[in-house]
Amino acid sequence: MSILKMSFTGRRSLALTATAVAVALAATGCGGDSGGSTPALPGNPGLGGDGVIAQSVYDAAPVATDADIPAGSTMEAIRKRGYLNIGGSLDAPLLAQQNPVSGTIEGFDADMAKLLAKYIIGKPEVKTTTIGTQTREAMLQAKSVDAVFQTYTITPQRATQVAFAGPYLTSGLAVGVRKDETSIKSVKDLAGKTVIVGANTPAVTALPSAAPGSKQIAFGTDPQALQALLQKRGDAYVQDFTLLASGAKANPGMKVVGEPFTTEAYGIGLNKADAQFKEFVNNWLKKIQADGTWAKVWEGTLGSVVEGGAPTPPALGSADGS
Amino acid sequence: MEALTAHLSQLGHGLVTTVELTVVTTVGAMLLGIVVATLRIAPVPLLRAIGTAYVEVFQNLPLLALLVLFVFALPTIGITFPLFTSAAIVIAVYEGAYLAEAIRAGINTVGVGQAEAARAIGLTFGQSLRHVILPQGLRAVIQPIGNICIALLMNTSLAAAVGVVELTQAANNVNLVEAQPIAVFTGAGLAYMLLALIIGQVTGLLERRLAIVR
Repeated sequence: MSILKMSFTGRRSLALTATAVAVALAATGCGGDSGGSTPALPGNPGLGGDGVIAQSVYDAAPVATDADIPAGSTMEAIRKRGYLNIGGSLDAPLLAQQNPVSGTIEGFDADMAKLLAKYIIGKPEVKTTTIGTQTREAMLQAKSVDAVFQTYTITPQRATQVAFAGPYLTSGLAVGVRKDETSIKSVKDLAGKTVIVGANTPAVTALPSAAPGSKQIAFGTDPQALQALLQKRGDAYVQDFTLLASGAKANPGMKVVGEPFTTEAYGIGLNKADAQFKEFVNNWLKKIQADGTWAKVWEGTLGSVVEGGAPTPPALGSADGS
Repeated sequence: MEALTAHLSQLGHGLVTTVELTVVTTVGAMLLGIVVATLRIAPVPLLRAIGTAYVEVFQNLPLLALLVLFVFALPTIGITFPLFTSAAIVIAVYEGAYLAEAIRAGINTVGVGQAEAARAIGLTFGQSLRHVILPQGLRAVIQPIGNICIALLMNTSLAAAVGVVELTQAANNVNLVEAQPIAVFTGAGLAYMLLALIIGQVTGLLERRLAIVR
């Protein structure tokens, strides 16, 4: 089942500052720099150390042939430039979090971006521009970035503005509560309750239909939302299942109840007009799913907080809008 | 355009919250500003020091950091305010420092002779402040106060970071569905501009009626 989510944050720069302050003062349990400064140290427990993929995964990853990269294409331009320019995050545990020691960005999204860079250029060179969820469409339309790797949920409305390769990951929203909470056992019990969500996450729009009558309060980042839950600003926290699981692992004061109640399909956001690039990225996804690279990335990142092995990767084009 | 019209009630609620937050914090910041400016010109050294410390502390901390501290740090020592109240308190305290300086500048325009005359007819410090100094001082700085109020309006958007669904957060939520940031944020931007223009107009009106021509 599931994986993750978290695309937070509006005002990315604000959120980064806010997160830094919140984490510093609130001891949210993020152990921070628990080692893992090089890819050679996989499986380091604790947030921050997770999300490290063995160098051998990169070494074995496929590289596109010259025939795959026609002259004048976006791929050729990227290869000539020498790095892939992506829009992403630096503060999403297990997805794309910057290691404070090494400065490298670790997590599922970050590794997928590096593997796409390796496929196009031959080496995993990625330049990450941190962007807010409210500017993704504009950045892609203006070609400020080549692609967006940011747990970008595929929706038909968004697909009118951008092209989605994938889905490359699916997950679902679940419910987190304080440890001593007994009256909330699933999303059905949220009616009349105050529910914390991450601003600009799918929970904002999914909650009113999944739990009618619930009152919603939104915080800019996941650490803030977790802190708000523990400080009793709300009765529950609705967020992606994997993110909640990693939060519960780090914070003994909370637990996850029930199964995920939505299905989110995450796509790689690309320029709407560039059908050739979308086909190229989809072909790459097919390759890394077939050769087991996808599963290795999953196990090294999100798999570190979810029991059981890697799930079956989502079928390409299976989401409405991809 | 459709992205905006389909969510008018959502954006409208955000706009109302922004206006409420602006009005409440402007009143609070004005009162604080007057008190702090008074402290800064008080005859007692300790009071002057308190006023100076207030201004230095709150002018030199980022508003966002203050908001996050207030909302997430206070609960760890058992003090929790509702989010709207938290945002209103923090923004009022922060903007109060700026207003205090503007008001102090106004007080400095009042001639020393005015204060001496007030004292000569037997008014206490409080009385001369209330009846002589402040009325003249405030009327000298109506325009700067208006500008600070416009900045205050813009600063209310930071409340979105701590969970208050004001205009900026409402626009974020709409964009999450519509995926049309340029249309949505242009609309929200125009709403802010309209509010700022209204503040500017009121300020201009007050200035024409109240300013002292020297």
